[in-house]
Amino acid sequence: MSRPVLLVRDLSKQYPMNHEAVHALRGVSLTVQPGEYVAIAGPSGSGKSTLLQLIGGIDTPSGGTVEILGTPLQQLSDRELTRLRLTRLGFIFQRFHLLPVLTAQENVELPMAEARVPRQQRRQRALDLLRYVGLADRAGHLATQLSGGEMQRVAIARALANRPALLLADEPTGELDAATGQEILDLFRRLNQDGTTLLVVTHDERLGAQAGRIIHMLDGRIQSDTSDIDSAATPRHHPATPR
Amino acid sequence: MRGLGWSLKGLGRHRLRSALSVAGIAISAAMLLDMVMLSGGIEKSFAELLLARGYHIRLTPKGTLPFDTEATLSGAGRLIAAIRRDSSVEAAGAVLGTSLYSRRNDSLVTLFGYGIQPEAQALYTLESGHDLGPADTTGVLLSLPAAHLLGAGLGDSVTFMGRLDPQVVTAAVGRKLVVRGIVRWVYDYRGQPSVGTVLPAMQSLAGQRIGDHVSLLMVKVREDTAAALVAARLRTAFPQLEVNSVADLVRHFKQRLVYFRQLSYILASMSLVVTVLLIGTLLTITVNERLGEIATLRAIGISRATVVREILLEGAVLTLLGSSLGIVLGLLTARYLDSILTSFPGLPAAFSFFVPRGDSLTTAALVLLLTGVLAALYPAWLAARAPIAATLRTEAT
Repeated sequence: MSRPVLLVRDLSKQYPMNHEAVHALRGVSLTVQPGEYVAIAGPSGSGKSTLLQLIGGIDTPSGGTVEILGTPLQQLSDRELTRLRLTRLGFIFQRFHLLPVLTAQENVELPMAEARVPRQQRRQRALDLLRYVGLADRAGHLATQLSGGEMQRVAIARALANRPALLLADEPTGELDAATGQEILDLFRRLNQDGTTLLVVTHDERLGAQAGRIIHMLDGRIQSDTSDIDSAATPRHHPATPR
Repeated sequence: MRGLGWSLKGLGRHRLRSALSVAGIAISAAMLLDMVMLSGGIEKSFAELLLARGYHIRLTPKGTLPFDTEATLSGAGRLIAAIRRDSSVEAAGAVLGTSLYSRRNDSLVTLFGYGIQPEAQALYTLESGHDLGPADTTGVLLSLPAAHLLGAGLGDSVTFMGRLDPQVVTAAVGRKLVVRGIVRWVYDYRGQPSVGTVLPAMQSLAGQRIGDHVSLLMVKVREDTAAALVAARLRTAFPQLEVNSVADLVRHFKQRLVYFRQLSYILASMSLVVTVLLIGTLLTITVNERLGEIATLRAIGISRATVVREILLEGAVLTLLGSSLGIVLGLLTARYLDSILTSFPGLPAAFSFFVPRGDSLTTAALVLLLTGVLAALYPAWLAARAPIAATLRTEAT
């Protein structure tokens, strides 16, 4: 078996609230292999978004460890962690969070510009990715001129910009109507088939149904994990294909 | 640009707010520029005025400055001859300043009279007519206000009187002179009615002939750089006189106008504080509004350094836009204020309070740019320190 993309061991997180500790996560452990499509489901407050933020290195755990491609996040400096998020991880948010003053293409270019990809190369890749998510004709439009579904597809293209090893999505269909949400789910399936490893926090049962593996969480713990390694896709050469 | 200028493009998101901020910065910049011009401009203008005719040194009665009092020094001819013997001296001339009177119809008019040596004069430029010859004891030069006051033109004869008897308002000495030329007296205040004639004639009118009294001596040296050296030599040679080079006079002037300088410093500091507050407030509001955006950027791997750089750039651009506008505004207001200040009585019309100079413009621009960047430091720090996860959680609710 190849090296796991993600290895989580005994992860816990407590928030202080009114002089008391709120346990958002209680000793979560999981492993994600390359090419897996994992859905994390559970009711609100079950800790799934917190888990995603700790895996993404945008929050620090109270205990336990997270390893991305064998690199323990806890040992990284802030600068190294930022670099890892830029080059190894892709983030997709419920509310898209595109920069409204930039065009779709510029939004996709942003992480590549930060990674110092040469201008010509990043423009070409941004166009390729927008074509991949079906928005080639909207490349020059400002984010504010796009519909919700289009914004989320641009956000997906942005997350793929630096060919991440793991794509993290937090309720990616939460702000979308059913039909548009289905388009995003179809895109995720295609991404996974093309070799992208996905870890998606969702309430959407349809997403759970199409993911190869569903982890159910409750009260900060993993309640069930339907691991299905066989569903891991064989990567094909494509703009979304990770390095 | 690594960050694709997202922060700069953000300025266009709230155009009215950005425009108002730029206007505010422009006003502060204009005030700063005016104060910078004022603080150095008076001295520069004063020095230029003193050197208007290329004379570097003034000799006056001990303890006085030129035309500061009515004190005179005696033996002018002997002194001038002695000074002219110095090989570094190109020219030396004496000047007597005194009150003169004349009549127009039945009215007595008061004038200021200059006794000059035309071959070495540093007081006027000829505007029309002819200059006086060194021996022309019947000619007179008028300023335009004096010509208007007297109703006299070129070739007209005018009777001048000195030393009025205060009891009967009659002159002890009177002299009829012919108007040879209209001149602009360098040190006259706006509208000053001044006349000039050769030194012996003016001394006679003022009753200063006996003793050869004059108000001051003016010396022009061959090399500008030798002025201080020649002044020192004259100081040794004539210990009974006050010898001042232009640099000395500027120094005296600076001491007298120290309050002006302090005022300009205070106002300049205030304008900088206003600039800092304006930019700081605008960017802090902008950053607070964009915290979600910034947290997202940090989450997708944009470094703190990039975020800080973008915010600082935004501050710098705001400052640059405001400063560019402020420089134009500052120059216009300086011109207007100068016209008010130089109309004060007793100030030479050629004098300027606000002197636009390349170095003052550069200083103001650099100080403002630095201020803009400094003002952006706090909002940049706020942006860089924003906790990513907590901010995204807050944004989601």
